[in-house]
Amino acid sequence: MKKHVVLGVSSLAALALMATGCAGSSSSSTSTEAAAETAAASAPASTAPECAGTIAVMAPLTGGAASIGQEQLNFAKLAVDDFNMANGSMYKIFESDTQLDAGQASTQSTAIASDNTIIGVVGPAGSQEVSAVGPTFKDAGIGYVSASATNPDLSNGANPGFFRVVPTDAVQGPTDADYIATTMGAKNVVVIEEKTDYGKGIAMSVSDALTAAGVKVTSIPVAESKKSYDDVIAKVADDTDVVFVTFQVAAKSQQVAQALQKAGKKAVVFGSDGSFSADFKTPGAYVSAFAPDINGIPAAASVAKAFTDKYGKFGTFGPPVYVATQAVMQAAQRACTTAGASADRAGVLAELPNTNIAGSILGGDIKFDAKGDVDGAKFYIFKIDDAGTAVTVQ
Amino acid sequence: MQYFLTQFANGVVFGGVYALIALGYTLIYGVLQFLNLAHGEVYMMGAFFGFFTMTTLGGPSMSILPVPLMILIMFLVAMGGSALLGIGIERFAYRPLRRSSRLAPLISALGVSLFLQSAALLLFSSRVRLYDSNLFLSVQSGITVFGVHIDTAEIMVVVGALLLMVILWFLVNRTNLGRAMRAVAVDQDAAVMNGIDVDRTVVWTFGIASALAGAAGVMSGLLMYPIDQYIGVFAGLKGFTAAVLGGIGSIPGAMLGGFLLGITEAMVTAYLNPTYSDFLAFFILVIVLLVRPRGLLGRPALVKV
Repeated sequence: MKKHVVLGVSSLAALALMATGCAGSSSSSTSTEAAAETAAASAPASTAPECAGTIAVMAPLTGGAASIGQEQLNFAKLAVDDFNMANGSMYKIFESDTQLDAGQASTQSTAIASDNTIIGVVGPAGSQEVSAVGPTFKDAGIGYVSASATNPDLSNGANPGFFRVVPTDAVQGPTDADYIATTMGAKNVVVIEEKTDYGKGIAMSVSDALTAAGVKVTSIPVAESKKSYDDVIAKVADDTDVVFVTFQVAAKSQQVAQALQKAGKKAVVFGSDGSFSADFKTPGAYVSAFAPDINGIPAAASVAKAFTDKYGKFGTFGPPVYVATQAVMQAAQRACTTAGASADRAGVLAELPNTNIAGSILGGDIKFDAKGDVDGAKFYIFKIDDAGTAVTVQ
Repeated sequence: MQYFLTQFANGVVFGGVYALIALGYTLIYGVLQFLNLAHGEVYMMGAFFGFFTMTTLGGPSMSILPVPLMILIMFLVAMGGSALLGIGIERFAYRPLRRSSRLAPLISALGVSLFLQSAALLLFSSRVRLYDSNLFLSVQSGITVFGVHIDTAEIMVVVGALLLMVILWFLVNRTNLGRAMRAVAVDQDAAVMNGIDVDRTVVWTFGIASALAGAAGVMSGLLMYPIDQYIGVFAGLKGFTAAVLGGIGSIPGAMLGGFLLGITEAMVTAYLNPTYSDFLAFFILVIVLLVRPRGLLGRPALVKV
């Protein structure tokens, strides 16, 4: 009996470990024809069945931002399926879990760099992660396209090979500040600045723009490890109109909104793009996002339907990954057809600056400028309604 | 003054959670002189047990039971589940190593800690959960003391922590089980010779300590702390710090350490820089240990000469 119990527990432990390990990588699966039509419309015309390669998707697949990471991964899978179906190529995905942690991203980047079958990277998701992987990818000559890293400093030349399909906080800050000052008419704003690369960047950007607009700004820095915000909210003055939060985990923004209610303060919470998730659901709160709700974009209809049919609901973090994955695969395809052989890292890196995705699912053409930032992108603002759903207001 | 009192109240509430976790550390250390480094993960599992009990009973806004009864069941399930988990951990991860070097059970504890994190990931997925307790415990409810509003969840945390401490103190000092625990703490071999079942006593010790961690998990959920598989790491560190600060092995010391830690954090946030609240809390710990190595209420160790 005793042996059986020990054996049972040992087996359970082994199964658990195996399951955890197996979550590390997998290839993509098939998709729908409807979605493939969209991919085909934006893909290079040539068909080269021998074009193949592995694309690493670096996303927070576990941890506090896992809901975002899983959505990003699924959009990447959909993009690969659609592209392969449309072009007869054989690209596949390597899943790389960064947990939205710079240290973890750095570790993963080393593994990716040492795997020569990986020809390009989609991600990482967070700005601090991009900073962490930059040196490794620079040495390895890998091109990487982030679909959610928005810190403006990332494209200042320190990270060659870095591209992004979303606008930077240099756009987000002024957009949010203009809405807060002009549309909401706020006079006093508290900025809760989480001490991460992302938090510092967006806090500075929005604070500068608000100050320039004549709004009184009070900054409260907080550590990323902080679990409760009642003591922080006690510092918020009663006449504060808006509390701007810079978290990357939306549940924290929800905590802040509830702490404000508990303290009987009238301030409205306005979350940066890191708060765009179903976990942030306080009616009357605002949140900005670097991508639109693609459900309203005709060019994205088939992709949105294919995703919903296969994976369920989605937010704004996933669709840009679809486009980022398209950018990497198109670059690989061009390199492959030009060289007449399988795409490699050097080819993808050389072709990424020539990206041109006409009529992308984000509602416009996607091209990169000389720094690797996307041309002409903008931020969107949503208000949370009584049902907890984010509704576009700008 | 009102601002000070508000922050003081916030600190007391934070401290209530730390204190409950610290009680578990101190109970196990007091009996076995062993640091259960997986205690934070038991707290994490307790928070999940409470969450899933709540959702099973209809969720935060559509409970099929009266709210007080739902909360009571959440506590009972979380404490019971955590107690069973703690007993299981003791049976399979620590008992075989009880006669080993002191390092072996510590390493085993680290392994258990990682195992529980992975198990939570597999069982509950990586999504962050919130109790949304404001949907069934109105933030407007509660009492106002000296102009400071303290809501029902906060009252439950502080009163619950104090109540559990009193029960634990009574159990350790006034019952046969407590006598057995103290005997095992002093000398296990002598305890056996006096007819005490050491294994059974240790099982009870782990069960009670883990139940306290489970209660702390539900309390943190009611306070709207986000729940995920990693919350035990920092909470465990804070609880351990509180236990050491108060004097590990001392029940009132664990409570005092927990409340002091919570109040320190709140005051650093209030008057200095919130970014440094954790750093300063641990810095104060270092200072206290340098000045008073046995902690605030710890007794000097008796050394056989």
